[in-house]
Amino acid sequence: MARRRGFFTGTISAGVLFFLWLPIGVLVIHSFNASRFSTAWSGFSLVWYERLLNDRAIWRSVENTLVVAGVSTLISVILGTLAGFTLYRYSTRLQRGHNSLVTLPLIIPDILMGMSLLLFFLAAGLPLGLGTIIIGHITFCVSYVAITIRARLQDFDYGVVEAAQDLGAPGWVIAYKIYLPLLLPGILAGAMLSLTLSLDDFIITFFTAGPGSSTLPVHIYSMIRHGSPPVINALSTLFLALTFVLVFGYQKFLRRKV
Amino acid sequence: MKKLTMVLFLGLSVALLFAGGGRQEVPKLYVYNWSDYIDEEVITSFEESYNVEVVLDYFDSNESMYAKINAGATGYDVIFPTSYMVSIMQSQGLLAPIQQDRIPNLVNLDPRYLNFAAQPALSYSVPYMISTTGIGYLSSQVGEDFIPSWSVFGDSRFRGRMTMLNDMRETIGAALKYLGYSMNTTNPSELEAAGDLLLEWKENLAKFEAEAYKNGLVSGEFRVAHGYNGDIYQVMEENDDILFGIPIEGTTLSVDEMVILESSQNKELAHDFINFLLDAEIAAQNTNYVYFLSPNVPAYELMDEEILEDPGIFLNEDVLAKSEPLLDLGETNSLYIRVWDRVKVGD
Amino acid sequence: MIHRGFTWRRNSDARGIRTLPSVIEKKAVEIGLTLPSFLWLLTFFLVPTVIVVLISFRASDSFGGIGAEWTLTSFYEISQQNFWPILWRTLKLSLYTTGLCLILGVPVAYHMARAEQRTQQNLMLLIIIPFWTNFLIRIYAWKVLLHPDGIIKTVLATLGLVSSEATLLYNEGAVLLVLVYTYLPFAILPLYSAAEKFDFRLLEAAEDLGGSDWTGFTRIFLPGISAGIVSAILVVFIPALGSYIIPEIVGGPDGQMLGNRIAQRVFTDRNLPQASALSSLLILAVLAPALVRFGLRTLPRRWSRGQA
Repeated sequence: MARRRGFFTGTISAGVLFFLWLPIGVLVIHSFNASRFSTAWSGFSLVWYERLLNDRAIWRSVENTLVVAGVSTLISVILGTLAGFTLYRYSTRLQRGHNSLVTLPLIIPDILMGMSLLLFFLAAGLPLGLGTIIIGHITFCVSYVAITIRARLQDFDYGVVEAAQDLGAPGWVIAYKIYLPLLLPGILAGAMLSLTLSLDDFIITFFTAGPGSSTLPVHIYSMIRHGSPPVINALSTLFLALTFVLVFGYQKFLRRKV
Repeated sequence: MKKLTMVLFLGLSVALLFAGGGRQEVPKLYVYNWSDYIDEEVITSFEESYNVEVVLDYFDSNESMYAKINAGATGYDVIFPTSYMVSIMQSQGLLAPIQQDRIPNLVNLDPRYLNFAAQPALSYSVPYMISTTGIGYLSSQVGEDFIPSWSVFGDSRFRGRMTMLNDMRETIGAALKYLGYSMNTTNPSELEAAGDLLLEWKENLAKFEAEAYKNGLVSGEFRVAHGYNGDIYQVMEENDDILFGIPIEGTTLSVDEMVILESSQNKELAHDFINFLLDAEIAAQNTNYVYFLSPNVPAYELMDEEILEDPGIFLNEDVLAKSEPLLDLGETNSLYIRVWDRVKVGD
Repeated sequence: MIHRGFTWRRNSDARGIRTLPSVIEKKAVEIGLTLPSFLWLLTFFLVPTVIVVLISFRASDSFGGIGAEWTLTSFYEISQQNFWPILWRTLKLSLYTTGLCLILGVPVAYHMARAEQRTQQNLMLLIIIPFWTNFLIRIYAWKVLLHPDGIIKTVLATLGLVSSEATLLYNEGAVLLVLVYTYLPFAILPLYSAAEKFDFRLLEAAEDLGGSDWTGFTRIFLPGISAGIVSAILVVFIPALGSYIIPEIVGGPDGQMLGNRIAQRVFTDRNLPQASALSSLLILAVLAPALVRFGLRTLPRRWSRGQA
């Protein structure tokens, strides 16, 4: 019976993966399309890759995007894990307020969060730049990480911790040797979520960015209007290729080590 | 293993943070513009002549740029708003006065277009490019003898294969123009009539579309599209079937202009940049690149033939006479908003 | 065992005595761990949000500024406009999106959780990597796919499922499809996070006791990952309510959602107070079900206590 269940879920998973990758296939194919418009194929061409390499504004945006994503994911994961943990572990009034603070950011439409952050930064006299973008990203990513971690802690058998405490283990050892390994898949999931959100964010970044600190989504949004989107297809294809090489190459490397 | 991953990740982030620090120390000019509106070579050429770095940022619409600047964002030197937006920005005190003696190339500007600019006296803004709104269409579907008119949107033969601009003023303006009213009217009954007409036309539309109508024309998805001349000319390169026409009832002309922010730290260099763009050769180079018209008289002879011969780009007197700029309406803007809401709500 | 603020039971009696220093120490630890995220969100989220809510009570000026007087004009204007179609459409699409994301996400999470460690990581990467390309480009890729002369339409038409004149784009169906596409990974991740922790031996035990597949699934697995389900609902439903780029690009002329209206107010109409007012109402509307959420949060604990 388990096998039947496995077959059913396996088919759905395969279907979902196909669904998720379908548009990606399209965009990769069209990065080689000589036509500027993805709706007609006019021959194989590498012209967009050429344009990509010569467009320095895009590369600046890429750099900004990666820096922002890296730093904000790192900090969001730290803050979010702590938040998820304390929300699960304690049920005090402090936590009830904490819970509201953590779940509310999800409700606010992006546009208004961006606008309000901008007003706040200006009122506080903070210069707009990569730093303000990072602050904005962390603010919305923390919530996602926190609820992912909290979901992970459901049904946690607290007896393990109590046993450790009875054996005299200090708090930080418990944290490190019991909670951390347990939470790691959740932390990774939260980090992935945060990274994805940050890489793709447009409206909040738009409002909180300073001159010269544009990220890729902001750049792309303006290109759709007036520019050559296939250059972005080329960039995305390159990025995908790079990611694959890095990720799976890294795994191969680890396997060989062991 | 997971620790190693995290360390590498951290290291990469830190490395990237420092990678940005290795730039030269030359003066920088911060420009906020539409995407792909200046030839890259022009930028490089400016940087070399003046030994500066130009940092380009892009916005996708006047409104989003304004929302940010009006809220107080600073740092930009030169911005390229459309004329109606120039007036708004000027009224909010965001713009620095143009020192005309720093821009000798101002004399190159074509006086016929100055009336469409925000201030003909050029005290706060300098025209950059002209664009006209009109109708792009597939000649094979619509007929080669098609006489461009706004009424085509009422033609049910093309039901579901037409788009109009997702721009309140442009689309309401088209209806108003067809009915013979001014595109800047504040007469409620005229606006009501325009709203009714649009609701009729809406039945024939696939959607309201501000930029992807180009793709739609190329692929044949759309047969008729309400759009800007420069955009449609870009797609004509790819598909001979596509033609552009300016409706006989008249249309709107818009001017994208260059302004300097009051908060700019680099006003001198900003003036030099504007002057550079008004140079005849540079202006011609830009026009040849973007297919919008640079209203620069000595540049006309340097532009590509096909651009000069085309009434869609290089407008003739008739067309100019029938066309109006879209003026900002201040308080009465809300009348238009009401009409637009009614048109867009659906059910 | 559910752990509350203090526990009255410890294994050893001697250590059952709560001493004042240990009580304070415990509180200090709690506060210390909570403070970073609490302070951060307070400063960078709550304060700006309060600003937004306050703006809804100010007058607007036609130039996008915020007036100096307090007024209820924005709310009044909103009540004069015909909002029900938009609200209904937004609510409906968000609910369907959430439902579909759950229906697709739960089996995927289940499958991932049962796979080998390495496969799990690979699957997670395969699910997330498409989303590191750009959001807009993906939507445009869907436009290509759903194009009237495109591949999907051709296949469907050949199979006779749609007429040859039909358009798959510019309607609510297209919006729903792209919404589900966009939010599916956000649903899968928390579901997986919870499923991975689930003890699958419970399902085997149920089987041994004669229960069917379906019973095991609905009465043991689903409650077991209920916190994950709640998280998934949160990260899909609520952001979907505010989406505007998707309906703008693949929606029809009749497809405006609440997010579009808010965006229109901010940019085109330059009426920040009204945009803020709309958002304040949205926040209010969403907080009501928050009580339901509170209920759901305590229910899983009762469920799991039942099975311990």
